[in-house]
Amino acid sequence: MATTDADLGSPGDLDEGEREAVEHLLYRLADDEFVLAERYTEWQVRAPTLESDLSLSNIAQDELGHARLWYDLLEDFGYSESDLVWERPPGEWRHATLSEVPFAEGDWADAVLRSYLYDVAEGIRLSALEESSYARIRDRVPKIRGEEGFHRDHAEGWLERLATDSGGLDRLQSALDRLFPHALALFAPTDPEIEDRIDDLGLRTASLSEMRGEWRSEVEPFLSELGLTVPDADRHTPHGRGGDHTGDWDDLHDDFTHTYRELGRTEARRIMVDPDEAES
Amino acid sequence: MDVETVTERAGPREFSPKDDMPEEYRKAATRMIQFHANSEIMGAYLERPFIRQAPSLDRKLAFSAKVQDEIGHGQLLYRAAESLGIKTREEMLRELEEGKGKFLNCFHYPMDSYVETPMIAFFVDGAAMRRQATLKSTSWEPYAHAMDKVCFEEGFHVKHGEDILRELMTGSRKEQEMTQEAFDEWWPRIIQFFGPTDEQSTHHGFAAEVGLKQMSNDQLRNAFLNAYIPKARKYGLEIPDYPRIEKRDDGTYEVREDDLDWDEFFKIAKNDYEPGVGQIDGRKAAQDAVEWVRDVLDDYEQTARGQPAAAD
Repeated sequence: MATTDADLGSPGDLDEGEREAVEHLLYRLADDEFVLAERYTEWQVRAPTLESDLSLSNIAQDELGHARLWYDLLEDFGYSESDLVWERPPGEWRHATLSEVPFAEGDWADAVLRSYLYDVAEGIRLSALEESSYARIRDRVPKIRGEEGFHRDHAEGWLERLATDSGGLDRLQSALDRLFPHALALFAPTDPEIEDRIDDLGLRTASLSEMRGEWRSEVEPFLSELGLTVPDADRHTPHGRGGDHTGDWDDLHDDFTHTYRELGRTEARRIMVDPDEAES
Repeated sequence: MDVETVTERAGPREFSPKDDMPEEYRKAATRMIQFHANSEIMGAYLERPFIRQAPSLDRKLAFSAKVQDEIGHGQLLYRAAESLGIKTREEMLRELEEGKGKFLNCFHYPMDSYVETPMIAFFVDGAAMRRQATLKSTSWEPYAHAMDKVCFEEGFHVKHGEDILRELMTGSRKEQEMTQEAFDEWWPRIIQFFGPTDEQSTHHGFAAEVGLKQMSNDQLRNAFLNAYIPKARKYGLEIPDYPRIEKRDDGTYEVREDDLDWDEFFKIAKNDYEPGVGQIDGRKAAQDAVEWVRDVLDDYEQTARGQPAAAD
């Protein structure tokens, strides 16, 4: 794949094709984080112990914070939070289905395994953005990376503990069989032509298939070591990246936009400092 | 130490696990702290749907953080209660699941709409803050110590609630009307938060004598009304006609007790009020569903003892 040393400059410097590629990339990043956080918060007040409740709450808030950082870069192009989150039709969201599928009640094995599958992919994806040709993206990577390391340690620690128990191992295997096709969806293209452009412009320094290969070579030995069998499965259809989702997504979307619609809101209230001001 | 000595020495942060406290004191303190811890958990349970249903990203983050804080307060308070040697945390959480653990009246009511959230986050938390601030000088040192952190964070929660109230009351006419309706519904419950005026509380006398409680329910309610009636009006809320509240010449308030539904209040106090029962059972079902994880953890810790394996 072609990478380029050219720096694309600031948001106003992008031509139409460049901007489209940047937007696709940002939607992938932001939507994954937002929707997964939405699912994680389901564990608040429902986790196995008070301690695990606090930890998963932290992780959910970190992911929400990352979503906020990526959406903020889409706001560079004139979109408001309402356009990006509250009024965007469900069929225009680009997260992978791994983020949206619900947790069965009490299925903590799903929660920690999903977190592991996602966090490894997230780490690989962030590495590929460290040298992005678009400075706005590049500059936000270090802060996010720091937090993802903790998430991964947390997930691995839990997996190791659950896998020592035969019942726990069975639950992990059943979660893996279900989640693996959704995890492969993380590496699906939003639009194959635009994904090529993302690579050609150097927005990302590894292609989707390269990242998928790296991810598999990392998660498969780890999961096997735990005593799990990695399924020989294809990517889930629909995968989510193109805007097509599972039925669970419509329900989730309906639920999180409920108040905004009930109150007839037209804008989303900001109470926190803008990420750009917080950095300076 | 006998009860007489405890009563003589009673003062802020006077007693700690180093002291040999009489059982009567340890039981009274456990009852108080356990009630407080349970209330944190059940308050969090009530608010959790609004993490999802908050109408902005920042609000969503704030709700998630608030619910997390409440769980953290529960954790701290159960620890403070455990330090009295009467019950373990597991026993207290088990009692909460079985409907034996008591908690604040306001958390027995359902909360269905976002416009209700400031009723808890501003008014109920504001009322709770009054009580909690006095508990920084309770005589059981671990409880007072926990209150330092709890009060600090509750300050943020009340600001969060106040900001939501301000936003709703400066929003569309529809938002204002919905908020007023929610206020009409919640106001009597908030007044009842402090209990009946002429309460013949079997617990208050002793708890006050040994320095666990610092102010009576009446004093606390009065301080709350003094501060919050003007605040409610400032945001454009009308104080409902009932219960009738009259201002005395000395500036204190008299609430007409007969205007409040005490049958409901005492039903709640016994954990017999229907929405509250559903909330207790709902939490129990969620906890039963993850029982298997706690079992795995217990086994893991027994076999891997000696290794640092914090279950977080």
